[in-house]
Amino acid sequence: MGTIEIGRRALLGTTAALIAARAQAQAATRLRLYWWGGVERAERTNKTAELYTKTHPSIAVAGETVGWGDYWTRLATQAAGRNMPDVVQMDYGYIFEYARRGGLLALDSYVGKELDLSGFDAASIDGGKVDGKIYGVSLGLNSTSIVYDRESFDALGLAPLAWPVTWEDFATRMAAATKALKKDGVWGSTDAGGSGPALEVWLRGRGKEMYTAEGKFGASAADMADWFAYWAEMRAIGACVPPEVQALDKLDVDTSVLTLGKALVGFANSNQLVGYQAVNKKKLDLAMYPATKGNPKSGQYLKPSQMLSIAATTRNKEEAVKLMSFFIADTEAGKLLGVERGIPASKKVREVIAPSLDAMATRMSSYIAEIAPVVSPLPPPPPKGAGEVLTLLLRTNETVGFKKATPAAAGSQFLKDATDIISRG
Amino acid sequence: MKPSWPRSLLAHAVLCAASLVMLYPLLWMLASSFRPNSDIFTSISLWPDPFAPGAYRRGWSGLQVSFGTFFNNSLVIAVLAVIGNVTTCSLTAFAVTRLRFRGRDVFFALMLGTMMVPYQVTLIPQYILFLHLDWVNTALPLVVPKFLAVDAFFIFLLAQFFRGIPRELDEAAVMDGCSAWRIYWNIALPLALPALGTAAIFTFIFTWDDFFGPLVYLNDIETFTVQLGLRGFLDSSGTSDWGAMFAMAVLTLLPVLAFFLFFQRTLIQGIATTGLK
Amino acid sequence: MAGRPTARRRGIPAGYIFLLPWFLGFFGLTLGPALASLALSFTNYDLIGTPGWVGLANYVRILTADSKVAESVRVTLLYVALSVPFKLGFALAIAMILNRGIAGLPLYRALFYLPSLLGASVAIATLWRTVFSGDGLLNKVLLQFGIHGPSWVSDPDTAIYTLVALSVWQFGSPMIIFLAGLRQLPRDIYEAASLDGATPWYQFWRITTPLLTPVIFFNLVVQTIDAFKAFTPAFIISGGTGGPINATLFYTLYLYQEAFGYLRMGYAAALAWLLVIAIAGVTALAFLSARRWVHYEA
Repeated sequence: MGTIEIGRRALLGTTAALIAARAQAQAATRLRLYWWGGVERAERTNKTAELYTKTHPSIAVAGETVGWGDYWTRLATQAAGRNMPDVVQMDYGYIFEYARRGGLLALDSYVGKELDLSGFDAASIDGGKVDGKIYGVSLGLNSTSIVYDRESFDALGLAPLAWPVTWEDFATRMAAATKALKKDGVWGSTDAGGSGPALEVWLRGRGKEMYTAEGKFGASAADMADWFAYWAEMRAIGACVPPEVQALDKLDVDTSVLTLGKALVGFANSNQLVGYQAVNKKKLDLAMYPATKGNPKSGQYLKPSQMLSIAATTRNKEEAVKLMSFFIADTEAGKLLGVERGIPASKKVREVIAPSLDAMATRMSSYIAEIAPVVSPLPPPPPKGAGEVLTLLLRTNETVGFKKATPAAAGSQFLKDATDIISRG
Repeated sequence: MKPSWPRSLLAHAVLCAASLVMLYPLLWMLASSFRPNSDIFTSISLWPDPFAPGAYRRGWSGLQVSFGTFFNNSLVIAVLAVIGNVTTCSLTAFAVTRLRFRGRDVFFALMLGTMMVPYQVTLIPQYILFLHLDWVNTALPLVVPKFLAVDAFFIFLLAQFFRGIPRELDEAAVMDGCSAWRIYWNIALPLALPALGTAAIFTFIFTWDDFFGPLVYLNDIETFTVQLGLRGFLDSSGTSDWGAMFAMAVLTLLPVLAFFLFFQRTLIQGIATTGLK
Repeated sequence: MAGRPTARRRGIPAGYIFLLPWFLGFFGLTLGPALASLALSFTNYDLIGTPGWVGLANYVRILTADSKVAESVRVTLLYVALSVPFKLGFALAIAMILNRGIAGLPLYRALFYLPSLLGASVAIATLWRTVFSGDGLLNKVLLQFGIHGPSWVSDPDTAIYTLVALSVWQFGSPMIIFLAGLRQLPRDIYEAASLDGATPWYQFWRITTPLLTPVIFFNLVVQTIDAFKAFTPAFIISGGTGGPINATLFYTLYLYQEAFGYLRMGYAAALAWLLVIAIAGVTALAFLSARRWVHYEA
């Protein structure tokens, strides 16, 4: 009997849910808010949305969330159906794809009215621009960052990775770390030869760009050969993990060789510190990516991560922008959201929440402050096909790692393939 | 034909050894659900140490909607899918194997053809179709197709079993003045019971495990299925609660296992029905 | 001439009435999207913008200029050739053992089905890594015998075999279908054969196998189609990349990357339709050959 009862209730419940969705749409302006993330982000985001609807009773906010891995498939499907959620969380790697294809709403005409950007400096507003127009506003600033096992570093008597550590120096110190570990199956560093952000920082240290302002690939075959040779050398001297270990790493938190306990140093983003710490037993710390000899500046930049954008197809443009503005600029919202998505880009919000941060959040915050004097400006926007170039880089580095190509051959092959991908768009 | 006991012992030894390989993943999942998050990726043992049972509580009520809601949603969808698939696919399979009419073979070829198209490319046009029907964000896109026999795998499966039923049976029935419906209902269905049980089990499991359909069609968390709920604990770009995911994954296996154990009885009943002959 | 049922008298063959749900489903839900994807294969559709006609350009590129297609076809064919026979052989062997009226049959059947219950769960990716990585369970076992195994799952020369292993390990579905087929075999034939003194081996080859051919045929066709379309194993275990070095880049994984990763839905649709043609060809061959070896009716 019990099971039948549950089944019936569930059936009625499901049916009710179907009807409820429509009834709601009539009662109020219903805005759909879509983001990727885990449990904690969902809690913070929902609370913030609730706070908004309390003061705006005519608005209903329907939160929709899935993890990063499934986020873009679903968004692309909805975009194809002209059914994108009104307010969507957007990533720097995708905003160009969506904005240039007409999927997003240009926000310039709302600035100063529905959209409050008063607490934002020009640099962080520029981060959300595509071809001169604002399509996204940052919920949190971050930057690329080494995440490393500080506890083991200290225990082994290795000096912490304080700026500046040149790439050459980094190689020596990682080889030394592997030796000091005296453990089979653990190495100093991740093999970051397949990581796009690492390559970009390295290229910018050399005065090049990953992509030129004209949307061409910015490095020469020789640059790429040098890059692959650097990591081949790293592997040869035992400074980083061997290729068959690196291949387990899908460049995310859960599979990174740092999390798997195979390396002490990982290449990541500063706002991922919390995520990495949750699955690592040792105390972790942040450090800047290596520096280029003779260049006092880092190739790193402050990245507007985790932006909010508005779908071009939304039927409630003003209301959607207002909701978005509440998330990025309101101090009460800022208190609820914390630094879970990164350091708030709005100075006003940053000041209000500073006293309430825990140790991890404080470290993320101080890291952003520390690197500010040495970072470079935002690079030119990536062209269409940039996402595929990242996959190509990963694969090419594996080809060198598994000794199926020399660094020199890989360098010219990469340039040829990357150029082909970008010209195809 | 009962085998003699030394041979039966040997068979048991082989089966037990094989079972161990089959069972390891489940035990490992169970162990992982009692591990702290920082242990899950580095341990291959089957004994969680330290023992951390908190994941079940975190998992059940950690998302904004209780996991029980996801169970209900999945159950409703899976049960409806079973009913739909078994009835309409058996009707279709019966028609293409036991009845004669023009175009029959062409239709059967078309059915097989639909199995060959990868869903990755029909997904978008289908999504747009369901959007126009205003079915998105409801369970209808996941259930209604099952009542329209779109799953050719099951048509083909049942067709193969219907083909095995001796023709003399239908012929005798036709002589007796039975309608096609009565042949279907009184002869074909009872004889194909093991196949129907198989279809029911598979439909339930495939629907329960389906992730792509719910991902695309269900937006509100109140309508989520268990598979969507499980992914709710994971965010590969940031913070994941793997312990909670494993804990709920273990619970998620229970209904499918129960359904399987319950319906596998129909597979055994097959012995009795073939005795009819 | 079987089945000239009564509905015929009213003019509509009963078959059409039985097929009514399928007609609705096929013409209402399946055919439209399939034709739409066929039409899109001649465009540069990117999901967000409006599709523009490009003629045969997608097909020309696939067949002449895309090196990844060749790689993924090679990977897919290898996977089909290995996973289908092993999976079916294993499923049939276990089903035969289980069908001998062994004690504890329901328990074993459930145990052997367990891996298939897991489906494409995200837990599998983590599990496979813990079992098949360099210091994983398999190598720890091999080490007992003095063998140093490679990092199976992440070595480009062996990665595909871990996916074959996953497919074979999830042999539950064909096993259940074989079992259901075996259950349907008439027992009196065996009794007669036993009385005549036929050996079990003779019974297997001369009685069981011929009677089981419709089910064997079904499993063969379905598993082959599935293996050609295999997507999830590579998707979850390689994290969607098809790595290391494209060693697990299944054809449909490449198709998915093009469609949803790089927003080239038009190109992906062309890839899909070439796959449909290939599968249809293989299936047609199977059906032609079936006339020689598949025996319906007892």
